[in-house]
Amino acid sequence: MRSENQSEMQCVECEGLLAEAIDGGLHGTTLAAFEAHQQSCPACRTMVEEATAGLHWLKGLDEVEPPRHLVHNILAQTIGALPSEHAVVSPRGEGWLDKVKGRLAPIFAPVATPRFAMSFGMAFFSITLLLSIAGLHLSDLRRLDLSSKGIAKTYSSTQARVIRYYDNLRLVYEIESRVRDLRRVAAPEKQQPEEPAPKTQPKSDNQQDKNRTNQNYSRDANQPELAASPAGNEPGMKDLTNQARLNRRIA
Amino acid sequence: MDDIQAVNALVRRCVTGDAAAWQEIVQQYHRRIYNLCYRFSGSPDDAADLTQEVFIKMYRTLSTFDTTRASFMTWVTTVTRNLLVDHFRKGKYDRITDSLEATPGNQDDGLSLAEKLEDHSAGPEARMRSQEAQKLVHQALRKLSPELREAVILRDLQDMDYKDIALVLKVPEGTVKSRINRGRTELARLLQRSYRQVS
Ligand SMILES: [Zn+2]
Repeated sequence: MRSENQSEMQCVECEGLLAEAIDGGLHGTTLAAFEAHQQSCPACRTMVEEATAGLHWLKGLDEVEPPRHLVHNILAQTIGALPSEHAVVSPRGEGWLDKVKGRLAPIFAPVATPRFAMSFGMAFFSITLLLSIAGLHLSDLRRLDLSSKGIAKTYSSTQARVIRYYDNLRLVYEIESRVRDLRRVAAPEKQQPEEPAPKTQPKSDNQQDKNRTNQNYSRDANQPELAASPAGNEPGMKDLTNQARLNRRIA
Repeated sequence: MDDIQAVNALVRRCVTGDAAAWQEIVQQYHRRIYNLCYRFSGSPDDAADLTQEVFIKMYRTLSTFDTTRASFMTWVTTVTRNLLVDHFRKGKYDRITDSLEATPGNQDDGLSLAEKLEDHSAGPEARMRSQEAQKLVHQALRKLSPELREAVILRDLQDMDYKDIALVLKVPEGTVKSRINRGRTELARLLQRSYRQVS
């Protein structure tokens, strides 16, 4: 009604609507009246500009990560107990997977936070990298949302976290078994399951071969020399001793 | 709303002594409370101490939470805010030492404050600038009066609506909006002023 005459909006009114205007809460005639006042009032225009800038800077502030032991400490100080997941122990593996799981362990700790989810993400990123270098393709990894936001979301509720934990555990086993398969395929004759999976990367293998042949070549090059001296000397020595005997006889 | 019902059910379980339910509440709310305390106090250590205090207080007073009066989120925020006010009155967190004006001069990256504040794109360099901007905005926030600071934190960082903020601060909605305006404007001026000093 008032807005029929837009010029009626006063600076005080405008200021009262400022928060809603910036937050997108103004509509229709009120918004039109507010905008009309902006056109004619530089003071209010500046106010809107400043408040908008302030809002944008505040919105640019990220959520910060609480300290790792915060939840643990809170529970210890209230119910005086550790979170129930604390009892969950990650099973033993072998080889480098142990190391990876060592890095994953913090995620399964009671104070799991997205920061650890991040390092978890990084750990799995390394696994993907390793396996793709090794020529393995894991479609399972695609299913995992490894972005920090996705993981943060996942970790927001205990239930989801527990489910994800088992999911990840299964994935670890899957990777583990695939690596074992890879070893079997790569080295079927050699019965050496304890050795790490051989690299199938062509470049490094060729280089190793070259090194090996180089070593062989150098060995071959040395051997004739070493073999030649006693073999060549022996008859010479015999000749010398024979010659000496002959000389003595002559003398 | 399902969410509200679920939270209220969780609180009821807590009151009957269900430790798992309490654990769930701690998991769900500690980030939010920690961030509120961090942005208000300005210090990560103080924020951690305050967050623990908030939960201890919540644990003791959980039975006083009235589902008919406010949402659990509003109640939790009120408990936190009251504690922050108590501590602020005691002068515990009234020691703003670093000067906003001094900060840009310490940087040797040759970037103007405007450049530091602008970015939101990806890339490590941009992210670094963004971190610098975050620091500056965080420091500017600490220069606001507690009334304006809490208003913009609740609105722009905790995404609460005016009505709930009015409940938490126990002031009329009009006052809430006015404080939000002044808080945003003053923050912009603080950052703008140091920008003019730098450039
Ligand atoms: Zn005006």
